[in-house]
Amino acid sequence: MHSKFTSCLLFISLLVPLSNNAAEVPSSEKARALIKKMEDLYRADSSFAQLTMRVESPHYQRTMTMESTSLGTEKAFIRILSPKKDRGIATLKQDKEMWNYFPKINKVIKVPPSMMMGSWMGSDFTNDDLVKETTLADEYALQLEETDDLYTITLLPKEQTITVWGKIEYTIDKKSMVPVQQIFYEDDGTKVRVLTYKEPKQFAGNLLPSIMEMIPLNKEGHKTVVIYDTLELNVDGITEEMFTLRTLKKRFR
Amino acid sequence: MLLPKLAFRNVLRQKRRSILTAMSMTGGYILFSFFVSLLDGSYGNLIELFTRDHTGHIQIHFGNYLDRPKLFKSIKRRSELEAALSEEEAVQAFAPRVFAPALAYAKEKSTPVTVVGIDPAMEKNTSMLFHKVKEGNYFSDDVNADGFYPAMLGLGVADSLKLNVGDEIVLISQGADGSIANDIYLVSAKVGTKSSNERQSVYLPMFAAQEFLTMGGGVHEYAILLNHSDEAIDVADALRSRMQNSDWVLSPWQKVEETFYKTMQADQQAAYVELGIVIFLVCIGVLNTVVMSVLERTREFGVLRAIGTNPGKIISMVIMETSILALFSCILGFIISVPINTWFTYVGFVLPEPVDIGGIMASHMQGVLTFKVFALPTLVVVASAITVSIPPSIRAARITPAEALASH
Repeated sequence: MHSKFTSCLLFISLLVPLSNNAAEVPSSEKARALIKKMEDLYRADSSFAQLTMRVESPHYQRTMTMESTSLGTEKAFIRILSPKKDRGIATLKQDKEMWNYFPKINKVIKVPPSMMMGSWMGSDFTNDDLVKETTLADEYALQLEETDDLYTITLLPKEQTITVWGKIEYTIDKKSMVPVQQIFYEDDGTKVRVLTYKEPKQFAGNLLPSIMEMIPLNKEGHKTVVIYDTLELNVDGITEEMFTLRTLKKRFR
Repeated sequence: MLLPKLAFRNVLRQKRRSILTAMSMTGGYILFSFFVSLLDGSYGNLIELFTRDHTGHIQIHFGNYLDRPKLFKSIKRRSELEAALSEEEAVQAFAPRVFAPALAYAKEKSTPVTVVGIDPAMEKNTSMLFHKVKEGNYFSDDVNADGFYPAMLGLGVADSLKLNVGDEIVLISQGADGSIANDIYLVSAKVGTKSSNERQSVYLPMFAAQEFLTMGGGVHEYAILLNHSDEAIDVADALRSRMQNSDWVLSPWQKVEETFYKTMQADQQAAYVELGIVIFLVCIGVLNTVVMSVLERTREFGVLRAIGTNPGKIISMVIMETSILALFSCILGFIISVPINTWFTYVGFVLPEPVDIGGIMASHMQGVLTFKVFALPTLVVVASAITVSIPPSIRAARITPAEALASH
């Protein structure tokens, strides 16, 4: 299970010093590889994570704990464990589609494409952030800049890409190869939100930021913090059957 | 006593002219009285209608909730507020409410609704909701054996979701803490009609609505019922000073239904302008009469002056003549107006099509019998008659005996 991931890592670690010296690897290719690596960091071939999400706004603050399972880039499943009121609410992502399940009313509601940029469960993360429907490496034109410590990749949406962002600035720490920050811009160039990665920790032998903090700049006082309590990568026993509408509706206590 | 006697005789001297003038003043009086009755009556009825139906006479909200409703703008210290309301004598009844937009589902159909959380007992005394239950039963606070809360549906919701009493309805919304509110309720009643104000509402018991929206104990609105809609502004002021809490904003119905109130005021102003024109025409007639009678009697005034009559007395006499005529017209007008306005107050017209006045539907027009309906025209008719007779009376007083003798 680990082989694919490690080979990927190997490939990148090979690629990085190579491109530093040799001009023959175009910087956009390198940027692409970097972004892909970052996007797969928390996912690998399959993953199982326990998360805490804290949503803050001027009027309320609430904390949810949840479990997230993923298989490849296509399939993901999130289940809210607490608070009690929300326990059992689940989100299923299959390819480019997404459903939410509400146990109290025993109802599966499909998230329409128009709602992909809408808030997930009232947090500052969008549905799209969660399911990563948009593949950054494929749907954006990339530009790489380097300093001694950081890679800064500027992502500009390709013409056919459907997105609300005019630009994304993705910063990666060179030494530890972990994401540092993503800044999202609107079409007119105004900063809209900042996603910051904090407190790197060892998760199953991989160093990963354990905290993601999303701050929307257009909504004063709003903030969502996601804390990875546990993260297992390339887990045995995660199968396709776990990502069906039937599983979504399965009774959960 | 001489002056009134003289004035009275003068009125009777030209009977035909006096009768014609009196008729125009009587007509003016009747028209005026009818218009006032109509304006006050139909608007009064409308105001009673919506204030008693759902808005109440005064509403209390948190901050600017009335203009920009947001779930989190809720009134928290309710017992303090309710104590202040109970102390105010003018307050007849009050009821707390919670509002939120939601999506209602049933049998694969969905429709947008407004969730309204109410206290069943308090709401019953404050609005007409209890009387609008068409099918099923007005709910209570209780959950049923399976743990479901009851819900009452506006007829529009019930129809579009094809729901009947006893069916389940699913509501989805966003809670005050940003979470997704979702729950199932049992339809206990259908309320209102397809066109009534609550057609897209889903009523829930207060506790159920607060739990659904994760609101804690807060409410969005207090609707307060008074004895009469006229008291709203004064009582609101009194309550405001009693409460001493700047977060609680009291709005009389004039503010709550601002569009209606402004439309009403504009309409009333237009009506008063029309009345002004009628009165103006009446005045011209009166002026004509007075000027004629003064010109006709130039010699007479000359004689009066020659025998030493004070000019002030002449002015008084001419004005008195008009006043006598005006008073007589008012009495006659009153006698004719009473049956007309009485019929109008108790029977009235039914409009073939209801008219939308600033969002409130008026379906019939009725008058009102108040002191104002009869006093205001009297005041206007007499005052304007006196005003127009002043210039001719001054003219009469200025006549010198020599002029008078030369005029014929």
